[in-house]
Amino acid sequence: MALGADRYASRGDTFAFLGCVLLSVAAMSLPERIRDPLARGLRQTVLAPFLALQQQTELLSASLERYDAVVAQRDSAALAATFLPELRGENTRLRALLGLGQRLSSGYVPAEVLREPEPTGALTFLVSAGKKQGVRPLAAVVSPDGLVGIVSSVDAKTSVVVTWAHPEFRASAMATDGSVYGIVGPHGSDGPHVWLLELQGVPYRQLVPTGTMILTSGLGGVLPRGIPIGTVVSVAGQAEGWERTYLIRPAVHPGAVTHVMILTGPPVRGDLRSLFESSGETP
Amino acid sequence: MRRTDKYRFYVILAALVVLQFSVRGRLGGDRVAPDFLLLALLIYTIRARPGPSAGAGFLVGLLRDALTPASFGAGALAHTLVGYLSSWSKAVFFAENLFVNGCLFFAGTWCRNLAVALASGKLKGGMLGWELLVWSPIQSLTTAVAGVIVLWLFGRHLAIRLSDA
Repeated sequence: MALGADRYASRGDTFAFLGCVLLSVAAMSLPERIRDPLARGLRQTVLAPFLALQQQTELLSASLERYDAVVAQRDSAALAATFLPELRGENTRLRALLGLGQRLSSGYVPAEVLREPEPTGALTFLVSAGKKQGVRPLAAVVSPDGLVGIVSSVDAKTSVVVTWAHPEFRASAMATDGSVYGIVGPHGSDGPHVWLLELQGVPYRQLVPTGTMILTSGLGGVLPRGIPIGTVVSVAGQAEGWERTYLIRPAVHPGAVTHVMILTGPPVRGDLRSLFESSGETP
Repeated sequence: MRRTDKYRFYVILAALVVLQFSVRGRLGGDRVAPDFLLLALLIYTIRARPGPSAGAGFLVGLLRDALTPASFGAGALAHTLVGYLSSWSKAVFFAENLFVNGCLFFAGTWCRNLAVALASGKLKGGMLGWELLVWSPIQSLTTAVAGVIVLWLFGRHLAIRLSDA
């Protein structure tokens, strides 16, 4: 097919272009109740084979990494077997490193993050677990370091996760000792504090020292109590002697996670902080 | 163009789509790895008329929006614009050589990211600056390099004439 002057946009081309632009604008203004089923329909039909391919590739990749790890562990074990006391010590340390998954017992679903290269990829992403694995909307999504986000919508085999970096994300939070409560949301997208969180609504008289760990409070019943959100780094601002806002360094960066755990068990009445504290220990 | 060339053209586009969902995750970070899906669209627009290119861009963008619902519709708008403008400008301005096509891939990727960022309204200030001045150029560069390699290897099968200029 030769290229030439006959390929300049004709009237039909212009109409097609304008039609597509109008359809795009219409898609942008769709309400959530129409937009979500439409997106879900596309994921479950046209995109299903591609998502399955991506999932299989991720599994293959993880398997290869695990294979290397297993080979390394086998070699290490063979070497360590010659030093039985050291083997026992290592065994103790490995038990301590068993991780968050075992402590959570059956109340979670592991999932791979299926990323897309668009600029908004850190605000929402797909994970490879859905309704069939027991995932429900608003389930907490965590990594061993802390809170990643919540499940926004669920398909058969995949789910959409809204991370804490999303402008509409909010979580009820508290200081480690339970003395201070507030609402945590993303700090914004400007200046040197991009990718920080902020703790809003803290009464003026209540000071939160730098370095204080901020956890989910469990208020509202969406997120379980005690999931680490981040650490206070400074005061972001104050409103006329009325309240203070604190900057928080997040425990987890959503762009860096490759695997997550989705909490699927019954609503937890207790405090999860001990599970995460254990995962932060080093042997 | 022979019938076999036509089939090869679509086979190569399909291969790029498969690459997007298979090996792309192994080619570095999400923000820097080449975008094979957009590359397939841009290669399609080199041969197609602006109208079908806009339609193809809309479909590609809509499918991507289903995967990143944070900005539903923004991807469709961005890919429509890039598809149409790429096809139109290729016909009006651009010569047929490898470097110019590489520039087209670079500009197309960067403009797509710009349009998504602006249309979604989710990125502002410093985050937008980092996205457009750091991450997008890197991704555009890797996509352009991948595109040049594809054209160099398969340009004959894509029925795209490449001069030595």
